[in-house]
Amino acid sequence: MSHPTTVAKTTDQGATESRSDSAQQSGERERREPSSIELKGLHKRFGKHTVALDDVDLTIEAGEFFTLLGPSGCGKTTLLRMLAGLEEPDAGHVCIGGQDVTDIPPHKRSVNTVFQSYALFPHLSVRDNLAFGLRMRGDSKKEQRRKVDEVAEFIQLGSLVDRPVDQLSGGQRQRIALARALICEPNVLLLDEPLSALDAGLRGQLQVELQRIQKRLGMTFVFVTHDQDEAMVMSDRIAVLDGGIIQQVGPPNEVYEHPRNAFVARFMGHDNLFAIHASGDDWVDTELGRLHIDPAEQREEQDGWLLVRPETLELNAEVPENYNQLQGKVMERLYRGSRVEYRLEVAGVTMMATASNLGQRLLNVGDQVTVSVCPDDLVRVAS
Amino acid sequence: MKKRTLQRGLSAFWWLTLIFLYLPLAVVVFFSFNAANSAARFTGFSLRWYERLLGNEQIISAFWNSMVLAIVSAVLALVIGCLLGYGMYRHRHRKLGWLIVLIYLPIVLPDIVFGISEMAFFVSIHRYTGLLQPGLLTMIISHVTFQIPFVALIVYSRLVGLDPTLFEAAKDLYATPFKRAWHFLLPTIKPALISAFFLSFTLSIDDFVISFFTSGPESATLPIYIWGAIKKGVTPEINAIAALMIGAVAIAALMSLLFNRQGQR
Repeated sequence: MSHPTTVAKTTDQGATESRSDSAQQSGERERREPSSIELKGLHKRFGKHTVALDDVDLTIEAGEFFTLLGPSGCGKTTLLRMLAGLEEPDAGHVCIGGQDVTDIPPHKRSVNTVFQSYALFPHLSVRDNLAFGLRMRGDSKKEQRRKVDEVAEFIQLGSLVDRPVDQLSGGQRQRIALARALICEPNVLLLDEPLSALDAGLRGQLQVELQRIQKRLGMTFVFVTHDQDEAMVMSDRIAVLDGGIIQQVGPPNEVYEHPRNAFVARFMGHDNLFAIHASGDDWVDTELGRLHIDPAEQREEQDGWLLVRPETLELNAEVPENYNQLQGKVMERLYRGSRVEYRLEVAGVTMMATASNLGQRLLNVGDQVTVSVCPDDLVRVAS
Repeated sequence: MKKRTLQRGLSAFWWLTLIFLYLPLAVVVFFSFNAANSAARFTGFSLRWYERLLGNEQIISAFWNSMVLAIVSAVLALVIGCLLGYGMYRHRHRKLGWLIVLIYLPIVLPDIVFGISEMAFFVSIHRYTGLLQPGLLTMIISHVTFQIPFVALIVYSRLVGLDPTLFEAAKDLYATPFKRAWHFLLPTIKPALISAFFLSFTLSIDDFVISFFTSGPESATLPIYIWGAIKKGVTPEINAIAALMIGAVAIAALMSLLFNRQGQR
């Protein structure tokens, strides 16, 4: 608990400094403490056969940027909707800020959502859209105006505020939707794939901006996406979901580098998974042959998968003696500018290797190659 | 060459259709300004028939009956139809399509069948309870009955065209159920409601058959009055009433169209 509170305090100051003079004159806004979230035994079924969530237990720290990651139909959106109160669990409890809100309807929860479709009210101007939550909550007209101006400054909406909703571009709608949710200063902000409708350039830009906003406000963000790159760039922690079950929770580097099972590994974009036939203290037998591994990777079970990250492979390099060395052949070369990807054939199996483009001679299709990898970089993954 | 001939043919067909649609109306309007008491010979421009209308108590009373009937029935149908349309939307996953078919059925029946059944129904209720004597009230009830499905369908189709997450956004932004209806739902479907009102209004003004069977001696509407009057022949006075009705209905229909289009923007 102590860590997120400090984050909130320091970012609070940052936010104050960067806010405009006018906002400061109108008085420091009373900021709510960000809330932690606790989910206990959440279960949800749609119809008879579709299990959306299967006994989900999850704790999200206050002030954390937390991402629910998974393929479509994995239950991530259902989970988010339960936090908002838009979906009721069949069993289990939702606690926000230590309070059980399972039976509290959405309009009574201090939680706001940025919807995938933005859901801006077409009958209202941008200004009225922004003020909607404040108005429904019963803030005074003066207060509404002040907060709209403040959030417009904070999200840098500029002249957008006085434009009709139907004249906004996708990116502009996205910012308004974000501002409309932030303006209410909720304890938790929920974001349901808010960037998925934008083109790649804009998406990248907004990823960075969203993360900055979250750090400045110190608010708890729960973000839903199916894009693992997006999840890794933005999040403090990621939960990977599949089939209504949380497969792994952890910081991005942990989930990426040490996926707990084959699903997580594949979903995080790993292709180089090799079946393990047998294993010992510091070795595994795979399709590639016997490889040395870090004894720390030793597992009780004999089977599973060996993850070889393409960027840990060294091609035709001078390596220490304890490195694993394999002979292979270049089958395909994908030139990506900053890096080069090779599809190799090693021991009759396909293996991907990535080399940073440091100006070295590129390998050609058909070249024989020696592939080396440090035992410490090999990771065992459960099936 | 061939293509151009076809296009000319189609264009001529279009104009012909328009002529058959609007020329009779134009003739009626034209002769309503006739100075002479004739439907065949135009002798000069005059407003005397319009003046005569204002002096005819029967016509004035029929006019007010028509207006009261149209406005009251349209307002009632708007409220009930709006609730029905919203209900159909809320429970659209439950396959309630048969419901709209059910309420649609009476209006696809020939008007005369619908009118006679309504009459028989009201007469038997009156016989046993003394309530619902044929008159403006029974006319209003039957008009509301046939207007409801139109309102419900207009409201329903507007709601279906909305992004469903808008409803959730309203919930998410602290709106209680009542505030959701007042600050989100009603303003959002307002154009559809106005359109539905004018459509109901027009339908009511237009209706003759159902009104005829459900009216009482004191509640003749304009169409019923005209029906009675033309037994003595088409007079320029009738032309004048018809011209005014054409104007009123055209305006109402135009409003309906306009607001419907605005809503679909």
